[in-house]
Amino acid sequence: MMVGMSKLLPPIDHAAYREGIGVMMPLGPAIAVWGVVTGVAMVNAGLSIPAALLMTFTVFAGSAQLATMPLLATGAPLPIVWVTALLVNLRFVIFAAASRRSFMHLPWRQRLLASYLNGDLGFALFSRRFANAEEHGNPEQWGYFYGLAVFNWIVWQAGSVIGFMVGGLLPSDWGFELAAYLALLAVLIPMVQRMPAIAGVISTAAVAVAAVRLPMRLGLLLAVLVGVTVALLGEAWRDRHASHS
Amino acid sequence: MNHFHDWGYLLAAFAGLTVATVVTRGSFFMLPARYALPAQVERALRYAPACALTAIVAQGVLTKNHEPNLTVHNYQLWALLAAAATFIKTRNMIATISVGMAVFTVLRVWA
Repeated sequence: MMVGMSKLLPPIDHAAYREGIGVMMPLGPAIAVWGVVTGVAMVNAGLSIPAALLMTFTVFAGSAQLATMPLLATGAPLPIVWVTALLVNLRFVIFAAASRRSFMHLPWRQRLLASYLNGDLGFALFSRRFANAEEHGNPEQWGYFYGLAVFNWIVWQAGSVIGFMVGGLLPSDWGFELAAYLALLAVLIPMVQRMPAIAGVISTAAVAVAAVRLPMRLGLLLAVLVGVTVALLGEAWRDRHASHS
Repeated sequence: MNHFHDWGYLLAAFAGLTVATVVTRGSFFMLPARYALPAQVERALRYAPACALTAIVAQGVLTKNHEPNLTVHNYQLWALLAAAATFIKTRNMIATISVGMAVFTVLRVWA
């Protein structure tokens, strides 16, 4: 079944589309590097280039791809792989809830494609641009969104494909799998700026290490459960504390 | 056996991972407007990704062969600390990875 582009894309204001591309352009090198690191890590972990291409053009979620790579490499049970990706991706649920008002009245195919392209960077820039807009859901906003999204998709995928080709050339005894963890660290640190989150990730790390002997990588899920609980308790404690002072 | 040559495993994995992308990014775009994200749920969702990434990094760097690996001879740990300091100072991913890999390589070759 063929679906014409006119059915997948909302009406787009071309000036806003170009504005979106222009805003994303200075971030091009960073997006490309993120793609290259993801691509190198995937091939270096042992994925063949056809498998890596299939993964990047379907999954299209760098953090989840990097996070699940060590699990896939050791043949972890698939439910653990999927749940790990879901947990890493839960931030997208917040993004979707926050930017839905600009897309809600579009046909479902157009919403589905737009949401699939709604990654971290695009969401942040889109939210900033239209935070105080009086009207939500018009060709200007859709044009700006697609300018951001198309530029991000092309540059990230191009970086990934370059990474697949470069990754095969690197010697495997250099311990390059560490680079994937370092890249995840760079994604992680900006998420952890306040006390409850800091307490949460420290508890998570402690449980993840202590529970590493649990079968089927269940220690991962236990660690996340404990970490989120600690963060929420910390938040509740902080709120109570703040209301007393 | 290397699971990366098991296409059945990989195809199933990628299908599920694609679903994980689509259902999270699509969630509130696809749900009718009357469904909102409750504040308490949003709070929990905020912390889950950071904790999941932390668990992966901690098991990757601080364990070895399903055992904790918390000795001074764990060069990945020193590299991680150096990389964290670099990121906090520069906010630059390229610098972060370069410094971390440099520290790791120097320790691996000379220590």
